[in-house]
Amino acid sequence: MIANIRQSISDWIFRATVPEAPPVTLVQRRIFILPTKQGYLFGFTVLLLLLASINYSLSLGFTLTFLLGSMAGVAMLHTWRNLAHLKLRPGRCEPVFVGEIAHFNVSVETPSQTRFSIAVRRRGDEPVYADIVASETASIAMAVPAMRRGLLTCGRLEIFTRYPVGFFHAWSYVDFGLTVLVYPRPDPRAGNPPSLSRSASEEGIPIAGDEEFNMLRAYRPGDTPKQIAWKALAREQGLLTKEFNATASSELVLDFDDARAPDLETRLSILCQWVLQAEQFGQSYGLRLPGREIGSGRGEAHRARCLEALALFEAPR
Amino acid sequence: MSAVATLRPPGGVLKAPGVSAPLDVKNVLWLLAAMVFVVGPHLLRLPVWVTIFFLVTVAWRAWISWSALRSPPRWFMWGVTIATTYGTFLTYGRIFGREAGVTLLIIMAALKLLEMRTQRDVILAIYLGFFLVMTNFLFSQTIPLGLYMLACVWIFIATLVGFNRVGRSPTLRERLRPAGALLIQALPLMVAFFILFPRTQGPLWALPQDAKAGQTGLSESMSPGNIANLIKSDQLAFRVQFENGMPPYRSLYWRGPVLADFDGATWKMRPYASQGHMDYARRERPSKYVVTLEPHQKTWMFALDVPGSLPDGAQLLSDLQMRYRRPIVERMRYEVLSYLDYRFGDRANRVQLEQALALDETRNPKTVALGRQWAKENPDPRILLSRAAKFFGTGFAYTLEPPTLDRQDPFDDFVFNSRQGFCEHFAGAFTLLMRAAGVPARVVTGYQGGEVNPLNNELIVRQADAHAWSEIWVREEGWVRIDPTAAVAPMRVENGVNAALGPIGLQAVLIDADKFGLLANLRFAWQVMNSNWDAWVVGYNMDRQRQFFSGMGVPNVDWRTLGFWLMIAIFAAGAAVAIGLLVHDRPPPREPSLIAWNRFCAKMAAAGLGRAPHEGPLDYLRRVADKRPELAKDLEEITRRYVAARYGSGASREEIRALSKLVSDFRPA
Repeated sequence: MIANIRQSISDWIFRATVPEAPPVTLVQRRIFILPTKQGYLFGFTVLLLLLASINYSLSLGFTLTFLLGSMAGVAMLHTWRNLAHLKLRPGRCEPVFVGEIAHFNVSVETPSQTRFSIAVRRRGDEPVYADIVASETASIAMAVPAMRRGLLTCGRLEIFTRYPVGFFHAWSYVDFGLTVLVYPRPDPRAGNPPSLSRSASEEGIPIAGDEEFNMLRAYRPGDTPKQIAWKALAREQGLLTKEFNATASSELVLDFDDARAPDLETRLSILCQWVLQAEQFGQSYGLRLPGREIGSGRGEAHRARCLEALALFEAPR
Repeated sequence: MSAVATLRPPGGVLKAPGVSAPLDVKNVLWLLAAMVFVVGPHLLRLPVWVTIFFLVTVAWRAWISWSALRSPPRWFMWGVTIATTYGTFLTYGRIFGREAGVTLLIIMAALKLLEMRTQRDVILAIYLGFFLVMTNFLFSQTIPLGLYMLACVWIFIATLVGFNRVGRSPTLRERLRPAGALLIQALPLMVAFFILFPRTQGPLWALPQDAKAGQTGLSESMSPGNIANLIKSDQLAFRVQFENGMPPYRSLYWRGPVLADFDGATWKMRPYASQGHMDYARRERPSKYVVTLEPHQKTWMFALDVPGSLPDGAQLLSDLQMRYRRPIVERMRYEVLSYLDYRFGDRANRVQLEQALALDETRNPKTVALGRQWAKENPDPRILLSRAAKFFGTGFAYTLEPPTLDRQDPFDDFVFNSRQGFCEHFAGAFTLLMRAAGVPARVVTGYQGGEVNPLNNELIVRQADAHAWSEIWVREEGWVRIDPTAAVAPMRVENGVNAALGPIGLQAVLIDADKFGLLANLRFAWQVMNSNWDAWVVGYNMDRQRQFFSGMGVPNVDWRTLGFWLMIAIFAAGAAVAIGLLVHDRPPPREPSLIAWNRFCAKMAAAGLGRAPHEGPLDYLRRVADKRPELAKDLEEITRRYVAARYGSGASREEIRALSKLVSDFRPA
């Protein structure tokens, strides 16, 4: 309840421009600080100690009281300083499939000494803690389960600390507009892509189809062993990859209409599974969705393009 | 969701421990150690069962944490709580008051340690620890205890720091350093608060009777053996600073309770005494001095006889006792003027004299008979005095360990049998003899002598200097002080009790054996420090605060002025700490090779080939060399030199200069 009120008040006070251009340095005016419940309890303790000191006129009691009280004041500055001047940058956020854990990455740097127990959290999530060591960049990853296909937005992040004594909560907000692309969940029951399964049933080995051998080119990382020209290697011509001339008849097009399922999500899951399989078999493939068509291709970038199209296809917001 | 919460992302980043996560063992052990330290001084004065209970509970808790066992069940905790509270009641007869209260607090702290499960419990236990620090001050406020407690506070805060670190358990240094920094930076503000916080007079609510008890001192009555017990105590009674030099040692009679009622064994103070006047028939040799009196829970104040001025709040009784208006429960400073050469009471009233002659005929019959016989032979007080001096001067011994005396007729037993006694034996026996001989007499207790600290010329009077003497009334002369102990052990009066009896106590023996006086000097220096500590730290009250500010040129300081300065102090201290912290925020001095490298990167960035933060120098080189093959040679050279200087075995000044020059000449655009 109090947290909610505090949240809405600080929302009102702190209206950050979204998204912010990195790097963001936590300057003085971006940092807020308030006592924690522990801090209030400590204040009450000090008050009781003061009353006891006055009543028993204990000089050393006064000393203790004032030492603890002053210490709390100094601790406030330390807590604030623990956050001040940290430099934040957005990190790469890798796409995931539905049902996996998405990670929002933020890298944090300190301009001077090590900052202990710096926490970052999305609203409503558990915070993630890290020690920010001097002259190193700490990467803080917030794990979020990807439940739905589409673009998972991180939203505003709260970066906070209570170190060293926990009497104060110093915090700041930053919004880099971090997003994670969430692909559909590959449907394991989808089976092979229609055309791929056809050729596989005829020949047993999908690659050795009736496509014509076209040329040899230099090996690139990611080429499957099946494509490597082993004979050429044996002739000491180096590592070469066989390229096949995909004829129009054997071109694989993963068509939305071929994925038969009662609902959109399942169909996309099936298409997703097909994309992955086609890629795995080293087959060139294209994707056809209502209103969008991706030409034939192969490789990491092509796969990512296809999966992105699936992820964002009439994406639920 | 639970699977997510326990997921451990890469890169040394850890999740926060959940509420149910067990407390870190190391942190718990720190807390237990802090508790043992802070309770330590209490353990010596607590009943044995409490000490054992506390230590066993702490050990049990350590075992629970160490072996990850479960805390004892709730019904068990309740049972123990009730049992120990009852035990406290049985021990002390109550559960309030100083000893009982502290005992209960310690028991509760131990039980809290045992049942603590969450971070919140830990915080409560630590705050309880701060209260335990405070309770120690109820018993002692010396410099060593103060320093010890400061160390305890340090450990507690280090523990707090440990519990506020999430993830890896901090090292010893990572605990003590931040805690130490907090305390050191808090010190100036603490001092400002100590000086400026307005002090009040007296307690806010009634103090329990035994709040600061345990001090020894003189009492309202004296029977053989009382003072001999007191004399074994090294405890401070009061300190005196003379204004114009110290009077001779043998005239240092610090007058305390006057005992005129006698029941045959015990001398007692009269329950009621009329107001006294300072109309002395003769008053010469004035001496002015300041007394710093330790609290003794009674009303009497000490002064050399006879006082010529009265401190605030004091009143004088007709037997020249100085009394404060309420029991002295705090250390007190007062200034007195005394006359060392005087005559008083030569117009004493009949009632007073009759009281000074009263005696119970049925007890100590032989002593009474002896007195009567002396009076029959010659009633002149002067002759009687010399007879008494001769009587006590032969065959009597002055000793701290006199034999036990007969209950019914103790003075007969002393005068005719044992003949070994301490000042109260001599003073009592002499006064009784005088009364029997028809000379009005009474016993005066107080202190005699003291020890001079040569470093600040302060006279230190201890319980060991307690003394008892007599006063007789002589026509035309008034009350005259007679010290029968002087007849037996003149050394006592001339040089103090250690001279008369040999060193008493370990400290005195050590100093006696120290030929070069090193120990004695150290002890004197220590005493000076203690004296200042007591005067300005422990004894810093409303009067002292006024005095301090008068000295600073601010007379009659009130709480508004103090509050104003307090505000200024808070802002000044806060600003100083904040600036100190921010100065530390400047980036650490960079290596020259890094400066050159950054310049190089800036030039590349200007040419549209900036280095990404995650890119190491070699990866960067690979990327830019591909894009700008015409620059490859320069790029390679600069990168190679930089990597060698920064990550290699280090670079000479020439090599750094060469790198700098390369970067300066580099034109990527």
